[in-house]
Amino acid sequence: MDKLFDTFLLMLEGSEITLEIFFITLLIALPLGMLAALGRLSSLRLLSRFIEFYIWIMRGTPLMLQLLFVYFALPMVGVRLPDIAAALLAFTLNYAAYFAEIFRAGIQSVSKGQYEAARTLGMSYPQTMRRIILPQVFRMVLPPVSNETINLVKDTSLVYILAMNDLLRVARTIVQREFDMTPFLIAAVFYLAMTFVLTWGFKRLEAYYGKYDR
Amino acid sequence: MANTTDKQEVMLRMHDIHKAFGDNEVLKGIDIEVRRGEVLAIIGPSGSGKSTLLRCINKLETIDSGSIEIKGEFLVVTNGEGRAEYVETKKERQLLASTGMVFQQFNLFPHMTVMENLLEAPMQVKGLGREEIEPYARQLLAKVGLSDRADYYPSQLSGGQQQRVAIARALCMKPDIMLFDEPTSALDPELTGEVLRTMRELAEEHMTMVVVTHEMAFAREAASQVIFMADGNIVEQGEPETFFSQPREERTQAFLQNML
Repeated sequence: MDKLFDTFLLMLEGSEITLEIFFITLLIALPLGMLAALGRLSSLRLLSRFIEFYIWIMRGTPLMLQLLFVYFALPMVGVRLPDIAAALLAFTLNYAAYFAEIFRAGIQSVSKGQYEAARTLGMSYPQTMRRIILPQVFRMVLPPVSNETINLVKDTSLVYILAMNDLLRVARTIVQREFDMTPFLIAAVFYLAMTFVLTWGFKRLEAYYGKYDR
Repeated sequence: MANTTDKQEVMLRMHDIHKAFGDNEVLKGIDIEVRRGEVLAIIGPSGSGKSTLLRCINKLETIDSGSIEIKGEFLVVTNGEGRAEYVETKKERQLLASTGMVFQQFNLFPHMTVMENLLEAPMQVKGLGREEIEPYARQLLAKVGLSDRADYYPSQLSGGQQQRVAIARALCMKPDIMLFDEPTSALDPELTGEVLRTMRELAEEHMTMVVVTHEMAFAREAASQVIFMADGNIVEQGEPETFFSQPREERTQAFLQNML
């Protein structure tokens, strides 16, 4: 029983890295994705094209490859990042690209009439975006953002190839040492717990923002 | 020009308005003039350019050439090369602030209550405090008969109620000219009455209005001037009494026949 408890504690420690990557990625990738979406929709062609290219790269290659690239290839050109920073760089750039596409779709699904109504009332473009368009976008993108967020929980496990002691790597280490599969089960429970909390949270958010469409 | 000085103030003057979407010329040299307190009804078949004309007034569409004057000040003029040139942004904002618009699809802000819809622009654009504008907003809601709906969301209202909120929202910015773009076309027939009633009341209070509509009864009873447009031209224009009882042009006659 003691051994099980120790395993549990070790994995709890491992989940710290997992949670750290999860929260920091989310914190940076969400606003970055919004900026990218606005840039993608910008009338500045060069900016729009550049962001389109960025999104194409990020969505068109495996996250695993991007992680390896940041971790192993960047140092070759003189950019040496601490482990956690390298992982975060890859994760945020990747997730921002996905969020950008979600936000872009959301922004484009708000009817032209909303912009026109705001304009005829004298509202400026920033006012219109901040007060009229984006609040409606938030509501609409909640389900797909919820999806991506849950993916992120699981994607954090990819850092185990960078020799970072996240939840999955800790589990695997114990399994290999002890020849006991329980850590895998515990890891599954950990991931499930995290996604459960997220699902619940997003449900609450959807209910809150959904109050206006009955 | 000289003979207009003794009459009421000209609120809106559009001269020789041309507008094309690509190769499709939708406005082929339109002239209109609306004085304070007048109600101009614009009728015509779909595709005649009447909605586009209305949308040119508040720059939802830009014109290719011609000029638009709002309360005696130019919003846009045509330069020597024959291209439309709008005034600088600050002036433009000031001129457009004297117009309010009501859309076919209401375009209420769905994430805001009725009251928030009314207060949004006065507070954000004019920078008014809530306590400065809310009494007026309540007054407007009472006027459109929706005092008891202030805390409802648009989705909880009928189409007719939504459109009346939209009218109140536009009025809350205290415009001098109200533009209506087929305000009853998206409504079930039994709901058009309440919206038209509100518009009639506005007309009786001498609000200057430009109304694009298919409601012949409204044009006949509430308008001071009727314009019939077809294919980007004004075919016929007159006071509603003569316009409806003795239309001169064949096209007008055929159109009116169809509408009745």
